[in-house]
Amino acid sequence: MHHLALYLHFVKLRIRSQMAYRLSFVFDLFSQASISVIDFFMIALLFNRFKELAGWSLWEVGFLYGMIGVCFAVAEMIGRGFDVFQNSVMRGDFDTILIRPLGTFFQVFSQDFLLRRVGRFSQAFIILLIANSQLTISWSFVKVGYLLVSLVSGTCFFIGLFVIGATSCFWTVQSIEIINIFTHGGTFMGGYPFSIYRCWFRHFFTFIVPLACVNYFPSLFLLEKVASSGVSSFGVYLAPFAGFLFLSITVLFWRWGVLHYQSTGH
Amino acid sequence: MRPLYLTFHVYLAFVRKSFQKRMQYRVANLAGLATNFFFLLVHIFVYTAFYAASTEPQPLNLNEIITYFVLCQVSFMLMPFWGARSEVTQAIKDGSVALQLTKPVDFHTYWFADEYGRACYFLFMRGLPTFLISILFFDVTFPQHPTVLMAFALSMTLAIFMSTAITITIFSSAFWTLDTSGVSGMSGSVIMLFSGMLVPIALWPEWLAHIAEWLPFAGLIDVPFSIYLGKITGVGVWTAISKQMMWTLVFIGLGRFLLNRGFSRIVIQGG
Repeated sequence: MHHLALYLHFVKLRIRSQMAYRLSFVFDLFSQASISVIDFFMIALLFNRFKELAGWSLWEVGFLYGMIGVCFAVAEMIGRGFDVFQNSVMRGDFDTILIRPLGTFFQVFSQDFLLRRVGRFSQAFIILLIANSQLTISWSFVKVGYLLVSLVSGTCFFIGLFVIGATSCFWTVQSIEIINIFTHGGTFMGGYPFSIYRCWFRHFFTFIVPLACVNYFPSLFLLEKVASSGVSSFGVYLAPFAGFLFLSITVLFWRWGVLHYQSTGH
Repeated sequence: MRPLYLTFHVYLAFVRKSFQKRMQYRVANLAGLATNFFFLLVHIFVYTAFYAASTEPQPLNLNEIITYFVLCQVSFMLMPFWGARSEVTQAIKDGSVALQLTKPVDFHTYWFADEYGRACYFLFMRGLPTFLISILFFDVTFPQHPTVLMAFALSMTLAIFMSTAITITIFSSAFWTLDTSGVSGMSGSVIMLFSGMLVPIALWPEWLAHIAEWLPFAGLIDVPFSIYLGKITGVGVWTAISKQMMWTLVFIGLGRFLLNRGFSRIVIQGG
């Protein structure tokens, strides 16, 4: 509880400091939203010409797109501390974190809060809402719960990726840029049904980097496409937990990484 | 100041320096190469699936689409989507632009040379490897005739010039706003859309393609690649190229105008 109160206090401080540059904040908000609006508009253009993608209609794909977009936006908003962690290592600021009487993970996690991702979040959320109104999803108590768990799990998945990127800084000082493939690339590829990808590609993004588990499999369940996709329904029930598992593993990796930290010095 | 053409070698040296500066980041470049390749792969998966389900003939066949997106990834880093990342904006923000101002050079040309060097770096160190690897893995089509290749080379060079001119125009706005991330973000998305980077303009509905035709940005991506694919031929090539030339000159003029206005009102930040 103490941690939560502290975290909320930190968030309040970060928001206040970001609001200091109000005009730049508003501009950023709009540019974020405009990029993603154009992004989805282009998908819509393709559907206008081709009608369907591997048996998925535009708004079914919109559902996928909205789900992954919401997860990524929230993850970027709250997991920002890990995303920019390389600066702390480069400047040697991590030393300060080590001598404070709080866990390192919590401190880095609470170091930043990127309010301007609200722009991206709302765009993805609106697409999700429109998709829902265009499709006839029979919402039940179970489905709503399942959706919420999936969204939280997806957010955990992306934060886990940021944690991997941050942990690698203990060895490489600079963040490994390859992680962008999984974060930005993951959001991009997650917006399309996984059935269009080759086998090896699908397996990689299910079992090693569990992107499909937090987005595609949940959508199959929610849109009642499990039977036609040939995926086992048992697997679909378990899938959303992959995000939590992934984050837990990356936290262990983080703890192990901290032991290897060598200060760049002050 | 001596006339521009007499000091050409000075600016050539700036181009070379800018190129060399980026040679330092080899690992980052490899990571970028992998990223380019990843996005290419996903694009190809998506379009293969779209084409598999459609029986109607399309303006571009699947091989041409694949080639188009290979070229897109080849030139991705040369395009003016990255305005905010430029060190010039940083220089205006933190005041170190004052040091640059003491140099006896023409600023627009100096920054143009710097940006052009960057473009050359990404063309040879990022674009070329992307292209060569793509040939190994995908069905990339080649122009049938050497004249097509020459026209493409000319058009692509102009596209890089135009991109450089646009980038400078965008970050000239830093004199007014100091923080260009918003401006370059918004202009970046509009430019990306109308250049044909996301979806080839040939696949767009007619009304939207019409708007793109009246904007300069197709000259960055869609025009050179259409020439490469043989979709623009004969006189059309010359009209397309002269349009590119005209827009490049417009952006150079606009950039020079904004820079002059900016310098006349500049207040150096910091000290």
